[in-house]
Amino acid sequence: MPLHDVGYRAWDGAARSGGAAAVIAATGIGLAWKSRWLRRVVLFAWSPAVIFAFGFFAFEQAVDEGTLATGRVAGRRIDGFGVIGGLVAQSLGGSLADPEEARRIVWSRLLLAFMRAPQAVLLAVVVGLVAPRLIAGDLRARAWLVYFTRPVSRCDYILGKAGVLAAIVALITLLPALVLWMVGVLVSPSLSIAMATWDLPLRIIGAAAAVTIPTTLLALAYSSLTAESRIAAFAWFATWVACWITHGALTGADLAAGRPAVGAAEIAATAFEDPFDDPATLAQPPRPPRLGWLAKAAGLGQGIDRWAWLSLFHAQGAVQAWIFGLETRPAAFGPSLASLSIVAIVSLVILFLRVDAPARI
Amino acid sequence: MIEQAAGRLPNEDLAVPEPAVDPLPVRLAGVTKRYGRRVVLDGVSFEVPRGITGLVGPNGAGKSTLVRAMLGLVRLASGGVRVFGLDPAVAARPVRRLVGVVPEDDATVPGLSGVEMVHYAARLAGLPTSEALRRSHEVLDWCDAGQERYRGIETLSVGVRQKVAFAAAIVHDPDLVILDEPTNGLDPLERRAMLGRLVSLARDHGKAILVSTHVLRDVQSICDSLVLLVRGRVRLAGSLATLTRLADRELVLRGEGPLAAAAKALASRGIPARMTDSGDGLVVQAVDDTSLVAVWEAARAAGVTAWSLEPRRLALEDVFLAALAAADEADARGIQHAPA
Repeated sequence: MPLHDVGYRAWDGAARSGGAAAVIAATGIGLAWKSRWLRRVVLFAWSPAVIFAFGFFAFEQAVDEGTLATGRVAGRRIDGFGVIGGLVAQSLGGSLADPEEARRIVWSRLLLAFMRAPQAVLLAVVVGLVAPRLIAGDLRARAWLVYFTRPVSRCDYILGKAGVLAAIVALITLLPALVLWMVGVLVSPSLSIAMATWDLPLRIIGAAAAVTIPTTLLALAYSSLTAESRIAAFAWFATWVACWITHGALTGADLAAGRPAVGAAEIAATAFEDPFDDPATLAQPPRPPRLGWLAKAAGLGQGIDRWAWLSLFHAQGAVQAWIFGLETRPAAFGPSLASLSIVAIVSLVILFLRVDAPARI
Repeated sequence: MIEQAAGRLPNEDLAVPEPAVDPLPVRLAGVTKRYGRRVVLDGVSFEVPRGITGLVGPNGAGKSTLVRAMLGLVRLASGGVRVFGLDPAVAARPVRRLVGVVPEDDATVPGLSGVEMVHYAARLAGLPTSEALRRSHEVLDWCDAGQERYRGIETLSVGVRQKVAFAAAIVHDPDLVILDEPTNGLDPLERRAMLGRLVSLARDHGKAILVSTHVLRDVQSICDSLVLLVRGRVRLAGSLATLTRLADRELVLRGEGPLAAAAKALASRGIPARMTDSGDGLVVQAVDDTSLVAVWEAARAAGVTAWSLEPRRLALEDVFLAALAAADEADARGIQHAPA
């Protein structure tokens, strides 16, 4: 018997009339964070940010040294600094004259590439680790009674569970992207650059939301359909892989049939003349454009990917490119935006139907 | 007449209702619930007063559905439920704030420790964080959970888990506590302690308690009133004292000697008598006061040393079995007379 046992006492305090979703989210994050694997993956997910930070540094160094027009940093061509330097160089395109305009393009491309290439893939892994247990675990342990015998509504429950996932997704997409922007400001010649690029944090938030909302809702919908979290995890990864393969197969079929992506030919012919070639000083022959996976992720050299809407990864990329202002052709992002919206709405409907279904048994 | 709000999802409407003014904890009127063509609750009407009420019935009687109806978790076909005057179908949140539930199923959140589970329940019920933690430890102390509270829920014994579930149900100091099989898996000492806590909540703190159970012994030892539910219908409802009333004109003769011979002697005098279930006495149908004299004489003539002759009080089990038999008979009659 504890010394401080005061027996049962009445409680006459005022109960809070809302905020159950926040309580569910906070507890869910705490529980998820107990997973050693999740902590490792999240830590690893921040490593690409360090590499991309170098891109910001290389660009700002070129601006600072006044060597932007020659594309040199500390005596070396920017694109000599590995893939990130190459990405910066390619992002500059023909916009060397105006550093402000060049900065906007380079920073946007770097942020888009960061959110699209490494983070979107890592996001699939993190969501696959966390989401399947969120609702399936409650169904399995019959923990839904913990919630629905208390003043918790269905909306509270869904919002709370979505909050868990959204917070963890934000931890590997939104937060490092915002940190990258701040790094860019810090390595830039003046802090006033923050004002000049004020819209980028908003675009980052928009791009993160474009990833977070559909993925969170889809993963939760899968989790609500079964009491076996393994099945939900399989469904999640299978969806990503199947969509990716389908997209690749259809795009490949188009190429085989001699139908390149709309606009790709024009871009290949005009947009990638190396901006740093200065035969008079460098005496180097023009090099062919290098459109690696990172450059593609940054939206460089992209024609209209007409099958992007089929794949979560590609659809999110197309919408993010639009949010960053790097893609303005409706045909390039419209179908993807519609596709992601449909995924989100259908997932939400499934969630609402499934969440209190056990109570009706 | 209480009517169920039609066409609304049970826990959707969270509008703040009028304050609860009905002192009666639960009032059900003609509650009917169907799952497809199967009728689970068939015009159930009863009231749960203050004190401890036992909800008794065989498996599949509809007890769990009834509890869910009280929480606004199921949509009723007809009839209505009021919990402290509030309709759970349209005011689920305020009702659940007044109610604490200990489900029969092991409803816990994996990964939390015992105290975290109770704290989580308190936070979900709307208690501020620090207050929730203080209350959690307080009720766990009261439930005698000891240091086990710091272990993961999955690693706890059934008894400690039951304590944690009970603590989680009462941490927000609800006015009505609903327990589904609260003594399942408890050893005799723990069982007695749990029943003692329920009695304390009801007697010392004025809580209304509804205990859904199969254990008639528990009901008989702590309940003030009883509701017997069989196949979705209320077969008995009332105070325990009334239900286990003295059996009409039945006496129990206890004594030593040839009781069977005494029974034959009584039968020859036109007084029906039978052995008690325990075999240590006779149940005698006494017609009038002269029967008492006849019983004494018959016992003496048969060589039985009589110890006592007293009116027979029904055991709850007898009441339960008699009601079940009556329900079976009534249902069989209903089927027999049902139109083709």
